[in-house]
Amino acid sequence: MPDGPAFEFLAALIASSVIAAALLGLVAVSGIWGKRKITAAFTDRIAVNRHGPFGLLIIVADAVRLLSKELIVPEGVDRPAWDIAPIVMAGSALLGFAVIPMGNGLHIADPEVGLAYVFAVASIASVGLVMAGYSSNNKYSLLGGLRAVAQNLAYEIPLILTAASVVIFAGTLRMSGIVEAQATTLFSVAGIGIPSWYAFVNPFAFVLFMAANLAEVGRNPFDIPEAPTEIVGGWQTEYSSVYFVLCYLSEFIHIFLGGAIIATIFLGGPAGPVLPGVVWFVIKMGAVYLFTQWARSAVPRVRIDQLIEIGWKGMLVLSIANLVLTAVIVGITV
Amino acid sequence: MSLEDPTKPESEAVVGETEDGLDYDALEALLGDLAIGRETHLNAEAFVVRPDEVDAALTTLRDEAGFDHCSCVTAQEYDDRYESIYHLRKYADPTQEVGVVVPTSRDNPVSQSGNNAYRTADWHEREAYDLVGIEYEDHPDLKRILLPDTWQGHPLRSDYDQEQPQVVALREHANPLQEDHRGGEDSDTMFLNIGPHHPATHGVLHLKTVLDGETVADVESDIGYLHRCEEQICQQGTYRHQIMPYPDRWDYISAGILNEWAYARTAEDLADLEVPEYAQVIRTMSAEMCRIASHMLAVATFALDVYGDFTAIFMYAMQDREDMQNLLEDLTGQRLMFNYLRLGGVAWDLPEPREEFFEKTRDLLDDLPERLEEYHNLITSNEIFQMRCVDTGVLEPDVAKSYGATGPVARGSGIDYDLRRDDPYGYYDELDWDVVTEEGCDNYARVLVRLQEVEESAKIISQCVDLLEDWPEEERTIQSNVPRTLKPEPDKEVYRSVEAAKGELGIYIRSDGTDTPGRFKIRSPCFSNLQTLPEMSQGEYIPDLIASLGSLDIVLGEVDR
Amino acid sequence: MIGVLKSMATTMKHALDGETYTVEYPEETPEVSPRFRGVHKFSQERCIWCRQCENVCPNDTIQIVTDEQRNGEQYNLHIGQCIYCRLCEEVCPVDAILLTQNFEFTGDTKDDLAYSMEELKNVPWYKDIDPLASREPDRGGWIGEGEGEVDYQ
Repeated sequence: MPDGPAFEFLAALIASSVIAAALLGLVAVSGIWGKRKITAAFTDRIAVNRHGPFGLLIIVADAVRLLSKELIVPEGVDRPAWDIAPIVMAGSALLGFAVIPMGNGLHIADPEVGLAYVFAVASIASVGLVMAGYSSNNKYSLLGGLRAVAQNLAYEIPLILTAASVVIFAGTLRMSGIVEAQATTLFSVAGIGIPSWYAFVNPFAFVLFMAANLAEVGRNPFDIPEAPTEIVGGWQTEYSSVYFVLCYLSEFIHIFLGGAIIATIFLGGPAGPVLPGVVWFVIKMGAVYLFTQWARSAVPRVRIDQLIEIGWKGMLVLSIANLVLTAVIVGITV
Repeated sequence: MSLEDPTKPESEAVVGETEDGLDYDALEALLGDLAIGRETHLNAEAFVVRPDEVDAALTTLRDEAGFDHCSCVTAQEYDDRYESIYHLRKYADPTQEVGVVVPTSRDNPVSQSGNNAYRTADWHEREAYDLVGIEYEDHPDLKRILLPDTWQGHPLRSDYDQEQPQVVALREHANPLQEDHRGGEDSDTMFLNIGPHHPATHGVLHLKTVLDGETVADVESDIGYLHRCEEQICQQGTYRHQIMPYPDRWDYISAGILNEWAYARTAEDLADLEVPEYAQVIRTMSAEMCRIASHMLAVATFALDVYGDFTAIFMYAMQDREDMQNLLEDLTGQRLMFNYLRLGGVAWDLPEPREEFFEKTRDLLDDLPERLEEYHNLITSNEIFQMRCVDTGVLEPDVAKSYGATGPVARGSGIDYDLRRDDPYGYYDELDWDVVTEEGCDNYARVLVRLQEVEESAKIISQCVDLLEDWPEEERTIQSNVPRTLKPEPDKEVYRSVEAAKGELGIYIRSDGTDTPGRFKIRSPCFSNLQTLPEMSQGEYIPDLIASLGSLDIVLGEVDR
Repeated sequence: MIGVLKSMATTMKHALDGETYTVEYPEETPEVSPRFRGVHKFSQERCIWCRQCENVCPNDTIQIVTDEQRNGEQYNLHIGQCIYCRLCEEVCPVDAILLTQNFEFTGDTKDDLAYSMEELKNVPWYKDIDPLASREPDRGGWIGEGEGEVDYQ
C-alpha cells in the first residue's frame, strides 16, 4: 500500500467527495421529497406522486426550477459578504461531517478533539446567518440575523454542556472513542441486550440535547430566525435562485449534522444488528429528522424573549445540573 | 356583565330608559338646546345637532343616557346639505338606538369630530371625509383612509368626475426607507413596513410599524388596498335582485349568508316585507353553518400565525370548513358566493331528498365534538401555545367599547353582546343556545370564544334541523309575495344590523324613491375591530402584534369594502 | 409539557391513520351538487329575446343584440366577468339560459372567456347532470303575484 502525505491527501479528498455526494443526495431526497411527504402525512394530504415513482422525480424538477430562476441581487446589498454567507452556512455544516464515524469505515478524520471540532464548525453557521442578515440591506433580514445570534448564544452553551456530560462518561472527546464506549451491553431484557447507548444511560441528557438541538438547527418551536409569519423569511428573505438553494441545503445539512451528532454520542453511532453500520447510521439520522418535522407540525413557535428565557434560565441550569450529577455519578462508580 | 358595572354607575337612573324601550322625549329634554330638530328613522328617532355642538351632544348621550356604542357614522350628500349621522346604541341593549344627525352646509362642509366621545369615530370620520368630503374639526388625524393620499375629489359626491384621471407621480409616493428614524436622528427606533405583502396580514393590510428593538413602539394600519366601491355598487343595484349577490363579497371567508342577512334584514324593514317562518328557520340554519365555516378559518389562520407554517391545525380546520361548505353547496349551489337569501325569504327550499340532507348535516354535527376535542388537544391545551397567547394582545372592555369592537373580539373581552340574542331576528329567540363570553381579554380568550361559538352554532343547527324535519309539507313557504320592482317611498332611512361572523354588520339605507338606494352604507365589524390593534400591541413584541392581528380575524374585503 | 405531547400525539394519529382528505383531480373528480352554478348554457331555440336576463344581471355580463323586429342576433356572455349569481336563470321565463354544473373552463386570454351564442350552446353538461331536472327552481315564488303588476318588459 502506498504511503505518504500525497496519498493521504488524495484519499481524504476522495472520501470527502463521496461523503459530500452521499449527503447531498440524502438531503435532496429527504429535504425536497421527504419533507413534502411527511408534511402531507401529518396534514391528511397526498403530496407529490406524479413525477416518476412515488413522485421522486420532483427532486429533479425542483432542482431545475430553482437553478433556472433569476438570481436577483437587491440594490444596496453588501457584497461580497452577501455572496459568501450562503457558502459559509452550507460549508460549515458539511465540515462537521468530517469527523463523524458513519460506519463501514466511512470516517475521514478522527482527531483527538472530534466532538469539540464538530461544535466549533457547526457554530460557524451563525456567522453566516449574521452575514446574510446584515448584508441583505433588508430590515426583516436584519431582525432575522440578530435573532439568530441571540438564539445561538442561548442554546450553544446548554448544547455543549450536555454533550460534555457524555464526554465524562466516555472519558474521551474522540468520536470513535465515544462510539466504542457505547458498544457494551447495559442490561438484558428477555435475552435481548440493551446496548449502553447514552440515550439509555442518561435519558435526561438525551431529551435536553434533542430540545437544544431543535433550537440549534432553528426548527419549530425555535424557528425564530426565519419566522415566516413574523419577519417574512428572516435572514434569507433576499436570497433567490442558486443562493437560495445553498441556504435551503445548508438548513437541511444542518439538521442532518444535528442528527449525526445525536446518533454518534447518544445512539451508539453506526451500531445496530443485521444491517450494515452505515445504513443504521442513516436511519438514526432520519429518525432525528423526522422528529424535527413532527415537532414542526404540532408545536407553536415561542417568542424570542421566551426563547432566551428558556435558554438561559431553563436549559442552562438543567444542563449544568446534568453535568454536575453526571460527574458525581461517574466519580462514585468509577 | 360584571365587568361593565364598575366602568359607569349603571344602576342610577339612565335618562330615557323606560320599561318599554326608549323615551325619546326625555332624550330630547336631556339634549335641550343641543337638539335643534328631530327626525324619524325606521329604526330609531334621530336628533339634529348643530355642527359645532357634536361633541357636547355625543358626550351627553354617552354619559347621561348610556349610549356607549357608536355603531357607525354615515355621511351623505343631499341637494342642499351634507349630513353625518352617528348611529348610537347600547352594549347592554342594542335595541335602544338613537341617531345624531349633523347637517353641514354645502359651501363649507365642516363639522365637529365625535372622536372625543367615541374613539371609533376616528376611522369612520376619516372614511366620511375620504368618500363624501365632510371635514371634521378637532379630528386627530383627518386624512384619507380608503383612497390614496393623492386622490382628487370625493367619489360619493354627485359632482365627482369619474372620468378624471388620477395621476400619482412617483415622487409623491412615500419612500419607506427614508423614514427610518422618525423620532429624529438620535432615535433608536426602526420603521418597518409590515405588508401590504406579508405572510401574516391576511390579505393586503399595511401596518406602519415603529420598532424599538423587537418591541412595537407604534403601529398604524394603512387600509384601502382592497377597496372595491362596494357601497357605490350597491347604490347602483336594484333592491329586488341586484344587491344581494354583493354582500357575499364583503366578508368573503364563507360568511356569505350572514352578510346577505344584513342586507335582507335592512331592506325587508325598509320595504316592510314579511318573511315566512319556514324561511326564517332555513336562514338561521344556513347562517350558522356559515358561522362555523368562518370560525374554522379564523382558528386555522390564527394557528398559522402563531405556529408559523401551514401546519397540521390549519389543514384540519380547513377540512372541517370544507365539510361545512359541502353542505352549503348542496343547499345554496355555491361554496362561497352563495346568493341564497332573497328579500322575503330564501331562493330554494332544502335539497331533495330532504332526508339525505338532514342525515348529512346530523353526521357532521355528530362528528363535531370529537373534532373540537382535537382542536383543544392541539391548540388550547398546548403549553407553548398558552405561553404565546395568554396575556398578550390585551384589550380591556372599556377600550373595546370605545372603539366599537363587536363579535368574538368583544366577547373575548367579557362584553356580553350578541345581536342574535339582544336584538333578535330570524328564529334565534325561539331556540335554545348561549352567548359565549370569556373574561381573559387576551388572544387566548378570543380563540376560546370562537371554538365555543362553534359548539353553540352546532346546537342551533341541530335544533333547526329538527324543526325543518317536522315542518308540515303544506306550510313550507320559502318566499313571501314580493313585488317584482321595489320602490320604497323617498327619504325613508333605516339602520339595521345582524351578528355576522366578525361582529355587528350594519347597513344603513336611505331610499330616494327609485328602485335603487339613495345611500347605502356598510358598517363593517372588521373595520371597527381593526382599529383596536394599536391598543392591543403597543409595547409588545412583533410576534404578539402578528398574533393579535390574527386573533382579530379581519377580512380585508370587509375592512376596505 | 403534557399539552405539547398531546398536540404531537394528535398529529401523529393523523399521520398514521393513512387517510387522505385530498383527491387526485382530475382522475377523481369532485362530487358537484345538483344546484351548483357553473358555466352557462344557452338555448337559442327557447330564447324569446325578452332581455330580462340582461336587465337583471348585476354587473352587465350579458349583452344582447337584436334587430329592429326584436329578433335576436347576438347573445354574448363573459364567463370570466360573471359572478355566478344565477339571477339570469331565475328570471328566464323559458329556461333558455341555464347554469350547468360545469366548472372546468379555461382560456389563454381574458378574451377567450367572452362567450358568444355558439360557444354558450356548446357548453357540455357536467357528468350529464341536467340542472333543470335536478334543481326544481321555485319559479312561482320568484315571479310571484305581488302588489306591483307583473312586468315582462
